[in-house]
Amino acid sequence: MSPQGGYTLVVCEKPDAAKRVADALSDGSARSFLESGMTAFRFVRGGEEFVVCSALGHLYGVSDPFRERTVYPVFDVEWYSNDLVGEDRSDAGRRVAAIRRLSAGASKFVNACDFDAEGETIGFNVLRYASGGKEGNALRAKFSTLTSEELVRAFADAKPQAGQGLAIAGRMRHLIDFVWGINLSRVLSQSAQLPGRRYATVSMGRVQGPTLGFLVQREREIRCFVPAPFWKISAAFEKDGKRLVADYHISKVGTRTEAELVRGDCLGKEGLVGSVRKTTVQVGAPAPFSVGDLQREAFRVFGLSPARTLQIAERLYLGALISYPRTGSQKLPPSIGYKSILQRLGGMGEYSDATREILTGGLRPVQGAKDDPAHPAIYPTGERPRGHLAKPEADIFDLVVRRFLAAFGQSARREQIAIRVSVGKHDFGIEGGRITYPGWTRYYGRYFWSKDSEVPQVAEGDRLKVLEVMVEEKFEQRPPRYSQGTLLEKMESERIGTKATRADIIATLVGRGYVQGDAMEATDLGFSVLETMEKYSPGIVTTELTRGIEQELEKIEEGKEGGKEVVRQTIRSLAAQLVELSEHEEELGREIGATVVPGKQEAIALGRCPVCKTGELRVVRSKKTKKRFVGCSNYASGCRASAPLPQRGTVKATGKQCPHCSWPIIVVYGGRFPWKLCVNPGCPAKGVKKREV
Amino acid sequence: MKCRLCEKEAVTDLCGHHQSAKENLERAYPRWVKAYGGIEWKDYLDNVKRNVQTGRWAKEVAELLEGNT
Repeated sequence: MSPQGGYTLVVCEKPDAAKRVADALSDGSARSFLESGMTAFRFVRGGEEFVVCSALGHLYGVSDPFRERTVYPVFDVEWYSNDLVGEDRSDAGRRVAAIRRLSAGASKFVNACDFDAEGETIGFNVLRYASGGKEGNALRAKFSTLTSEELVRAFADAKPQAGQGLAIAGRMRHLIDFVWGINLSRVLSQSAQLPGRRYATVSMGRVQGPTLGFLVQREREIRCFVPAPFWKISAAFEKDGKRLVADYHISKVGTRTEAELVRGDCLGKEGLVGSVRKTTVQVGAPAPFSVGDLQREAFRVFGLSPARTLQIAERLYLGALISYPRTGSQKLPPSIGYKSILQRLGGMGEYSDATREILTGGLRPVQGAKDDPAHPAIYPTGERPRGHLAKPEADIFDLVVRRFLAAFGQSARREQIAIRVSVGKHDFGIEGGRITYPGWTRYYGRYFWSKDSEVPQVAEGDRLKVLEVMVEEKFEQRPPRYSQGTLLEKMESERIGTKATRADIIATLVGRGYVQGDAMEATDLGFSVLETMEKYSPGIVTTELTRGIEQELEKIEEGKEGGKEVVRQTIRSLAAQLVELSEHEEELGREIGATVVPGKQEAIALGRCPVCKTGELRVVRSKKTKKRFVGCSNYASGCRASAPLPQRGTVKATGKQCPHCSWPIIVVYGGRFPWKLCVNPGCPAKGVKKREV
Repeated sequence: MKCRLCEKEAVTDLCGHHQSAKENLERAYPRWVKAYGGIEWKDYLDNVKRNVQTGRWAKEVAELLEGNT
């Protein structure tokens, strides 16, 4: 027992983190026990008794007391435990009850949630509501990895919080986003609800609006695009029996006549090598990973969505394999212990050569420009994975390790050559290059990509015979659609959302059917929601408004501003916009309603019905059981074609038919990997497989 | 009044989207004329309509205008 007669209650963010904290502080002697169905850990350290418990992410959320989805505006909101606000968190209530009981016997509290706005909010809410107002005098343990050494150090250094800026800003963000989202979504959903039709959810969040705006604006440019023609000219020369191809100095020749003129002037002539310019450039190692950098790189090399990458990185963090991933920093401070991490990584076969090399030099990693006061850039802890990692986890782990190693590498060198060849008054150029010293690129391995080309052996004054002049008609390319990676980059550069929320916002846009496909194409529903908002309440979806609120929230985090005034101002501005919107409810309904239902049908139509041949198979949800299944649009006319569906994950049509039975093939997203299946339960191919088994 | 090409409210005889696409088509025509040293409006529309880089709304408007010529 502690001197005050109670134990020290440690509150962690997640159960895995609680176990790691308990193991680290007790040298593995902690005993687990069940409290109201929740696992907690008990041990004695230095004569003091500790109990470690955990939340499960957010146990509390903002909600309105009435939860009547047809009512707006809603400004009277409060924090409730998630089991009371209809979240799918059945054990939130049990967990809150357990923490409440454990708090009753505690004399000291330690907040050991992740150190950022979300973690601060989780810890603050648990200590305030479940522990009974202990948020002000709890100690704060701050750490960036879940390794035993760092946890022991963090608890030895745990201090009372000087201010609650991060927690207050986190709570204000939740509150503002809830009020914003609930009111706009209710206006839109109410308006879109046509007489006799079922309620349809049309949502619009504070960051969601401008993000959808980027996608819609890009889609407008693409759909209105008219390409103009141009001509690309290149010439093939001969030098010692070798063919060299050079591009005309004007990359886009605007008229066919001009292009033909160049061809006519050059054919049958000789080219004179005017200059050969060789340069060597230094290619520095990339900055260590911030969360955005990691998400973009994982999308580039593995095609993983930002949300999925973050999910995997969090699992690796909870396994103490990498440092805290929700960081904006690109810096690796010496305090993380470069040498010890490299030595431990050296124990893993695939990194041993690289670490041996790095450890022989001075350990000065490349540092990026971005900083984060709470955490360093993402780095490997040096701990070896326990057991086998699944492929995506192994990929992200390897990427993080190699980026860390690359930071210690020397700059690579690239030899570049630029040759200018004149044919009369026309200039052509050959450019090439190759890596001559790999430096850090060897440590980054397969993730480094370079377009190397052979460097032609020519000298100034050489004469080259023109073999051929190629004139190619081309057209301007329309602007590219955003990928999840480039959209994330756009959100970062526009400074909307946070490193913790951006990936979720992109996932919400996909989930709501506002965008479709890997190349994020805005759908008709996405268009109508955004354009209706732009028309009747233009201020609400602007980047400036959202960015302005972010800046106010940052000031709260830094303790420069109080939270209440920011909320008051935001609500005042929202209320004014809501008045405008409510005055146009009818027009909103007409304009959005037209796309809501067809939009949904478009999203769930699977293909032509193979039974009646005229209807369309669709994903339908049973009113009675609430389960989804496949049914025919001709049900009312007597077609009884139907099939069961997996109840978890997102179902999407592939547009393909099963070659064995002609029923549609669908793809289900939701497990570790998407999987395809024929929806027909009686498909002969399935029978064959079963018989074979 | 509805747009001649979709269900949206028309600005003139086209909705805002198709009107923008029409303006792009009209703006690009002189560049095509210059590029080829002359091209008939109808041939231009036909080429634009068949070009894979042309946007969906621009193609719809090109088809409409082609029918009018």
